[in-house]
Amino acid sequence: MDHKTKIEMLRRMLLIRHLEYKWGEAYENREIDGLPPSLGTGQEAVSVGACMALKPGDFVFTTHRGFGPQVAMGMDPDRILADVCFKATGYNKGKSYHVTSVEHGILGMGGIVGAQIPVATGMALSFKLKNLRQVAVPFFGEGACNEGAFHEAANLAAIWKLPVIFLCENNMYAISLRFEEFIPVKSVAGRAKAYGMPGVTVDGNDVLAVYKAVGKAAARARRGLGPSLIEAKTYRLAGHLCDDPGYYRPREEVAEQWSKCPILKFKAQLESEGVLGRNEIEKLESQVKEIAEKAADFARSSPHLPAEEAFTDIFA
Amino acid sequence: MLPRRLFEHGAKIPPEQKRLPGYRGAINEALAEEMARDDSIIVMGQDVGKAPPFGVTIGLLDKFGPERVLDTPISEIVMVGAAVGAAIGGMRPVVEMQFGDFLSCAIDQVVHQAAMLRYLTGGQVKVPVVIRLPCGAGQGTGSHHAQSMYSWFVHSPGLRVLVPSTAADAKGLMKTALRQDNPVLFFEEKILYRTRWEVPAEYTGADFTIPFGKAETKRQGIDVTVVATLAMVHYAMEAAKHLEGEGVSVEVIDPRTLAPLDTETILDSVRKTGRLVVVDEAYLSCGIQGEIIASVTEKAFSNLKSPPVRLGNPGVPVPFAPTLEEAVIPNVDKIEKAIRKTLTA
Repeated sequence: MDHKTKIEMLRRMLLIRHLEYKWGEAYENREIDGLPPSLGTGQEAVSVGACMALKPGDFVFTTHRGFGPQVAMGMDPDRILADVCFKATGYNKGKSYHVTSVEHGILGMGGIVGAQIPVATGMALSFKLKNLRQVAVPFFGEGACNEGAFHEAANLAAIWKLPVIFLCENNMYAISLRFEEFIPVKSVAGRAKAYGMPGVTVDGNDVLAVYKAVGKAAARARRGLGPSLIEAKTYRLAGHLCDDPGYYRPREEVAEQWSKCPILKFKAQLESEGVLGRNEIEKLESQVKEIAEKAADFARSSPHLPAEEAFTDIFA
Repeated sequence: MLPRRLFEHGAKIPPEQKRLPGYRGAINEALAEEMARDDSIIVMGQDVGKAPPFGVTIGLLDKFGPERVLDTPISEIVMVGAAVGAAIGGMRPVVEMQFGDFLSCAIDQVVHQAAMLRYLTGGQVKVPVVIRLPCGAGQGTGSHHAQSMYSWFVHSPGLRVLVPSTAADAKGLMKTALRQDNPVLFFEEKILYRTRWEVPAEYTGADFTIPFGKAETKRQGIDVTVVATLAMVHYAMEAAKHLEGEGVSVEVIDPRTLAPLDTETILDSVRKTGRLVVVDEAYLSCGIQGEIIASVTEKAFSNLKSPPVRLGNPGVPVPFAPTLEEAVIPNVDKIEKAIRKTLTA
């Protein structure tokens, strides 16, 4: 992989991190109310590795922790932040957290755990019926793989050989329950066997490992060979939502996981490979922080929708 | 009453009815015509290709091939969910639930995904999915195969809910459903599958469509308005005929679509008659009957000469045993009694 791509990967991971912080800050500063932001701090490598392995026309279906893929697919940071601050300049006109851009191949799902998996499978069906060599990628957590929706979609995608990459972000926690408490086997990827599809577990904190696995699954899907299941093992450093006191896990565990932060890890890697020097990394990060700051200003200064907009967009 | 022989094959058609289109065939024709017109229409469901249990999709596999007529596994969540995704991807899927009751397995995909994604995304996506739902009692098919669940979905924002009661309505409404861009629940009453109908001349036209939100006054009258859906329309017509002999003039209105609901036609009628009976197979509690009565009382309270009466399932799982089923579901006799009640109250 060329240096430019690796630098772009780091840039997007940093952008997810800092832009998300702005969302969290908006909540903490009481600029927005309601459902607290669901940050994906610590999971940036999964989003960037997966989305950068895709091609134009491919389609990603996000979870309630969907900020990562939105940024990673190249959506405008200003408008993403505007949406989650309920401002009219957002992609959804500020109507929901389900930030969507058909042009970027992003459908914001996530209110109902696992619901995006069958919908993504249907998008893959449309690709197949139209003879398009595109793939659909539902992101979901390890909690969602206990939903019937996952089972039904995986089975259907497998029998119809649909171009789906089932991308499980295993961040170890389904709110308060730890992986071992609700899944009796060591890996989610192992469940792929039951559907006769390939299943791999990768280090979700290693952006290049995710990139490689998704690239391979996408190539397979484009050849008409059907779906794959990828389990990217990572860790949710953030709370389930902002305001999560985190009583369900020891602080020491979280502190230890911070040392495995995918951004730290990738920075060190690029430095040791000689792709970027420490100063260049710092410069890149300060540029990203400026973009995030500017996006926050944009969201803050954007207008809310007029009340009559509550009554539009129900029917086509 | 109509015969309780849903699964019977090769039943004899009375010679005088042979020239008339059937309710089942009308849906089939609508699908075949629209599929020939529009390549993006696909049909999915359990056994829809090789062995459609009620025959509605018969012949479509031969005509359009396995890429457009897809037999699915018994997986209601993904049947609906995949249809939603395919619709967003530019297809027009028609999903058959083998029995409408089974939609309960996939309710999230209907009310949260199909119905809400457009709203949530600020109008960025369209979800033109049609879900076909064989419904209704009177066939001895039991509680899990005999309900009329449209009230659940009329309650839910973002859905179109259709209830055709004749061959012409079934064909025209299906064709409209396949030419518009919103999620549609198409309730077809099983007891009507075998019925045959006189149809208007336009019926055979390629563009025979019936608009949503337009009720049909099946019969003019001046004493009582009866609003009825699906099989109940025909029972109401029979009751009206009986009462005509006693000098009672009954107006019968079939809304044909419950969302949107043509309240204007119903209101106009009640303003004339001053009396209202609403009859439907749905469970009465929070049912469509109560919704229709509420709409009328809000706007035409002063026109009412007697309290409106609603008929429906009083809140009993539709019984399996035929004798018990008859005790629960409205019929001609019960409709007559309800009409008399509005006259004497």
